[in-house]
Amino acid sequence: MILALIDNAFLSLIGTAIPASTVVVLAATGAMLGERVGVLNLGQEGLIGIGAVYAVIAVQTWGVSSPWVALLIGMVAAAVAGTLFAIAVVFFRANQVLVGLALALGGIGLSNQLGTNRNGTPITTLFREVNPGGGLDDGGILEAFLHHDPVVYVAYLFLPAVLWFVLTRTRHGMNMRAVGENPAAADAVGVSVVWSRLGYTILGAAISGAGGAYMVLSFTPTWSPDIARGRGWVALAVVIFASWKPGRVVAGALLYGTMISLGTTAQARGWNLPFLGSSDLSFFLSMLPYLVTLVAILIPAGAAKIGRRVRSNRAPAALAVPYSREER
Amino acid sequence: MSTFRLERRLEADARQAALTRIGGAVAAMILSGLLLLLTGRNAFSIFWEALDAIFGSQRGIEGVALRAIPILMTALAVALSLRMRIWNIGSDGQFLFGAFAAVGVGIHMGGPGWLVLIVMALAATAAGAVWILVPAFARAYWDVNEIITTLLLNFVAVQLVAWASLGFWRDSEAAVTQSTEAVPYTLADLPGTDRLSIGLLVPFVLAGILWWIFRSTTIGYEIDTIGGNPRAAAFAGIRVRRRILLVMLATGGIAGLGGMLQLSAPGAQTLNSGFSAQFGLSGFIVAALAGAAFMGVIGGGLFIASMFYAGLVLQTKGLSVYIIFGIYGLILTGIALGEVAARYRLVRTQEAVAGEAVPA
Repeated sequence: MILALIDNAFLSLIGTAIPASTVVVLAATGAMLGERVGVLNLGQEGLIGIGAVYAVIAVQTWGVSSPWVALLIGMVAAAVAGTLFAIAVVFFRANQVLVGLALALGGIGLSNQLGTNRNGTPITTLFREVNPGGGLDDGGILEAFLHHDPVVYVAYLFLPAVLWFVLTRTRHGMNMRAVGENPAAADAVGVSVVWSRLGYTILGAAISGAGGAYMVLSFTPTWSPDIARGRGWVALAVVIFASWKPGRVVAGALLYGTMISLGTTAQARGWNLPFLGSSDLSFFLSMLPYLVTLVAILIPAGAAKIGRRVRSNRAPAALAVPYSREER
Repeated sequence: MSTFRLERRLEADARQAALTRIGGAVAAMILSGLLLLLTGRNAFSIFWEALDAIFGSQRGIEGVALRAIPILMTALAVALSLRMRIWNIGSDGQFLFGAFAAVGVGIHMGGPGWLVLIVMALAATAAGAVWILVPAFARAYWDVNEIITTLLLNFVAVQLVAWASLGFWRDSEAAVTQSTEAVPYTLADLPGTDRLSIGLLVPFVLAGILWWIFRSTTIGYEIDTIGGNPRAAAFAGIRVRRRILLVMLATGGIAGLGGMLQLSAPGAQTLNSGFSAQFGLSGFIVAALAGAAFMGVIGGGLFIASMFYAGLVLQTKGLSVYIIFGIYGLILTGIALGEVAARYRLVRTQEAVAGEAVPA
């Protein structure tokens, strides 16, 4: 009986954590893609907003009736913003931190402005859940994992698998890594540093935008201001936690999502503890995802330092360093 | 026939870089104005109205100065860390936690007002340093990038302040307001002003002290050396990790003190989750605009504070806060591109015959 209760609570936690962290998985994957070729894009928060608002516009204003098309429109919008960012930092070699923050601010501003009169309007074009397990999972532990919409499976399984394969098993992936580690050497063997940086920054922005679009097309099917609510920043932290590895991105995002759904579960079930004179835990639970994300960055870094396992966990050496042939 | 050609400079000189950054910021503002025109608002007439609202009256000028205090404090904090190429994006969190500590002292401590205010200032400075403690240690000893760690704590600080203002320090007398009890102490008035306190002097004095430290002391020199090339600094025998820790704790402390100054400004005195109206962000923009030069921060801070005040005026004219975010984004991009432009110079070349190489 008690076991069943724990089981139940755990399953509902995981079951809500998976869709809750899909945005973070996508944004972190997008950010990681750019960082692997040496471009730090701090604008994730803005890209999520842009992806989300254009998916909403596609559905509500342009009458798009397929969630996939709306997702694509959100991705294209984020890619356009990502292109402006990429031109500034790759072509003009502007400071990536400054322009990244500018993209975050500009994206938040733009998406909120475009969404001004859309607050609370429900979105009816939605992704539907698919159950690849057939009837296998009913009532079992698989239930939490097998009732999601297709984007979830793409974000958690397909995308990480493809990226892992490309990055570690192909020549193209080797070239990508070279651009992030030692652009001068990559350039010397004929890999175009500028084009791969531009290309992967823009592709990464599109994937991050898909995260925003996913939010409104499935997770919270309505527009609300500041839709990303810090998820973009968490995604950047997840990339560090994941040591720039596609598989670990999923683990890190899921950890964050579990903390988020802990909050919602606690509220739904009315878990109240008197804490510092306040009768509810909601504020503490709202801090928890950020605190846990912070700790999740610190633990591997500390472990790496203490265990001297520095090489495999560190950032691409040329991250955020503009490349200029003339200055080689 | 003469043409123009871009030539790369070996070293961008500081004055040139400052000018191009300012040029980039101004160009971004003009561009924002043009974009506003496209959306059907006459940005330039609004602009003049805002200018009039600022400089047309003592009230306007004081309004700018009032907003300049927190912006200057966070900007000095960010500028200090930037001298070491450390990006403290969490000054909003340190500012809030400083104000949080100041409220705690202010509503619980008794005694003469001047003493309470001093303790509030010390507590706020310490609190700001505490708020950056973990990112500072992680950066100094574990090489954990500070951009994300400092930033994540902003979200925690906002929740903590919301918690205090709705929960454990909530003003129970006023049932409607969602803020803490009011701190019954304020800083002394600045003579000759209506709304300004002596708190306005703090950022100016602090900028002077920082300027002096970096001009005349070994420690300032060491910090600049680390900012230039940390590896060379380590070879030169500078204790890089300790300096990183010191600078990061100081940057947090300055931002925290800013929170106390804002709290003890006339009319403020209570804390709520909207307490830091993007002061950290504005301070970041100022520090970037000034290229981390402390005296430049003063000029840039007053400029951004006027924009901030103008923004408030513009909001009454129907311009949303979101558009102001967008304008901030454009200004930051303008600064970043201006920084790049300083590395080039336009030279006039004589071209004798088309197609013939220009002699170097």
